[in-house]
Amino acid sequence: LDGEPYTVGEGSQFQWFRSRIVGGRTNHYGRMSFRFSDYDFKPYTRDGLGFDWPISYEDIAPYYDKAEEFIGVCGSIEGIRSAPDGKFHTPPPPKVHETLIKKASDKLGIPCIPNRRAVITKAINGRAPCHYCGQCGRGCQTASAYSSSQVDIFPAMKTGLVKVFDNAMVAEVLTDANGKANGVLYVDKKTREHRVIRGRAVVLAASACESARILLNSKSSVFPNGLANGSGLVGRYLMDSVGFGLSGYVPALEGMPHYDTDGYGGAHLYMPWWEWENHNKLDFPRGYHIEIGGGYGMPGVGSYHGAARAYGYGADMKKNIRQRYGASIGFSGRGEMIPNALSYTEIDSSVVDQWGIPVLKFHFKWSDHEWRQARHMERTFTSIIESMGGKVQGLNNAQRESGGISIPGTIIHEVGTVKMGQNAKNSVLNGYTQAHEVKNLFVMDGGSFVSNPDKNPTLTINALAWRGSDYLAEEMRKGNV
Amino acid sequence: MFNLTQIEPAAPSRRDLIKALAFAVTATGGVIEDVAAAQHAHEETAATAKTTGGKYQPKAMNAAEYKTLERLAVIIVPADDVSGSGLDAGAPAFIDLLSSQNQQLAGIFHGGLAWLDGEMNKRYEKSFVAATEMQQIQMINLLVEAERHERLRVDEVAAVKRSSDNRDFANYTLRPVHPLAAGGHFFDWVRKMTVDAFYTSPIGMKDLNFMGNKAYSKYEVPNESLEYALKRSPFA
Repeated sequence: LDGEPYTVGEGSQFQWFRSRIVGGRTNHYGRMSFRFSDYDFKPYTRDGLGFDWPISYEDIAPYYDKAEEFIGVCGSIEGIRSAPDGKFHTPPPPKVHETLIKKASDKLGIPCIPNRRAVITKAINGRAPCHYCGQCGRGCQTASAYSSSQVDIFPAMKTGLVKVFDNAMVAEVLTDANGKANGVLYVDKKTREHRVIRGRAVVLAASACESARILLNSKSSVFPNGLANGSGLVGRYLMDSVGFGLSGYVPALEGMPHYDTDGYGGAHLYMPWWEWENHNKLDFPRGYHIEIGGGYGMPGVGSYHGAARAYGYGADMKKNIRQRYGASIGFSGRGEMIPNALSYTEIDSSVVDQWGIPVLKFHFKWSDHEWRQARHMERTFTSIIESMGGKVQGLNNAQRESGGISIPGTIIHEVGTVKMGQNAKNSVLNGYTQAHEVKNLFVMDGGSFVSNPDKNPTLTINALAWRGSDYLAEEMRKGNV
Repeated sequence: MFNLTQIEPAAPSRRDLIKALAFAVTATGGVIEDVAAAQHAHEETAATAKTTGGKYQPKAMNAAEYKTLERLAVIIVPADDVSGSGLDAGAPAFIDLLSSQNQQLAGIFHGGLAWLDGEMNKRYEKSFVAATEMQQIQMINLLVEAERHERLRVDEVAAVKRSSDNRDFANYTLRPVHPLAAGGHFFDWVRKMTVDAFYTSPIGMKDLNFMGNKAYSKYEVPNESLEYALKRSPFA
């Protein structure tokens, strides 16, 4: 991002993706919408690693219902513990390669079920059902694919009760002499002028690391280490998902009569975690889900670089690309990492961005837990591909070492850094995403996450934000905020 | 403040989109998420060719460089009984147009094409274009080999670099840099951009028989396709 650098500690790798647009990354995310399981809220109780959440599945379940009904999620009722069912629209049917993958998964005892994506297949709230153009990543003109800009923010603006200040780069949350939040200081990007907005409560939803940055930069005599940071935990326990991908070639698909595989813009099936009762047989804790790739994708810049490198050039390359078009499949594992003390972010006070705001410095380490999980993914994907009669595009040792686990940050599921918990000593926020130390300050993005289950975070962010907002409204009515 | 009237911004011009694509090509190493991006470049080269008697006039490359790109486009993606060549699909114009919008990309092609002619002169005392077809093919085969070697080497370097971050993997013997490494690197660029230009062109889309990008009220998977694959699978 031009003019907005961040730094990375020695020996660490981290990439931080930001989307400075109204609605942020929901405009172009994958829209996978998976509920956390009941056990995901109590990981420490189960395996002694990480921390338990201060809330349980029962606390959040009604808000999962509300969030799903509001944003619109496709899915099916399956009764699988790792993937609790929700309020779903009818999912589209599986594509051909997905049907083969399901048959392979059935054989291997891996559940393979309709995907759960925030795309609607019946009209709701003036949004038209999906028309299957496959271009969700570019923003959906009919808002059939959920984005917070089209589904939350624009309708809220139409009520006349909401004012949106765009191009506003928040530098700090301001506080009064008692340490209560009373507004924000921001830079108007169009004029480069500093401005202040006052408010009765401040809710940060700037994305996990950006919210941590704002808090750490909000220093005052009451909060010399950053706002609401008496615990010293703001910035700590940064997590991303464990990512690993493998592709394969499936001869059964070669020469198949072509059809439009765009579908609703993503895979129509996926595999939730299946070994939650068998951790004593595994060499890593926690789990992962599997996302599927394949089909006759639209040729784009970069689509055939790999094939060109494999076949060299000329008539042979051209023939192979044609023959193999649509016959390759890919799997991406998205797994849970264990929060660790070496993965955190802090302010790099020697560097400011173009708005004069001190930047973040990232530190990140995968541990053997994550590495072993990625190797389990590799073995699982290999088994699935081979069960389909396919050939795995395997890794040599050097490729495994350099690409055997995703570069931290690149799965763009970075959460934590403003964790919730039971008290002001072991956490920054309570279970309603309210700061323990500042009653009128809330953080309603992924920052509050205590763990990062193998469920893409957006749906849970939605549900936590809804629950936190209900609580905030009630506290305001009672006069507590 | 942000008003709802701002929700429909003025559409960016084709020129802006091409500039963005040209920038992205070197920024990402050539994989662009926006699959429609290349369409704008094809439209632009076709439109400018119309104004100059149907033939695209290079903006970034000189005549000799452009001729070499034309020859390379035919070698990399030759015509066959299904479709035309990389040249027919406008690959040289595609490369030239993007190079005209991105200094770094232009530098890769100027330097690489000059390297190629230097190496051809050392070997055959002829430029690439003036050499015989057999000499050209010999050279390209060497570059394919050099590029493969370099790719493996880069993987090894990355592995060693990351092993200190992840785990202790010390037993890598690094390959030496290939003597034709610079040429291999250039060939990878000209090949990937020729392939990009070909498959994103109308000729290439037809070659692959791409059927997507349409709107439906209901999504269906044809039985014929499903039965074809099932019959050939282990699940028959």
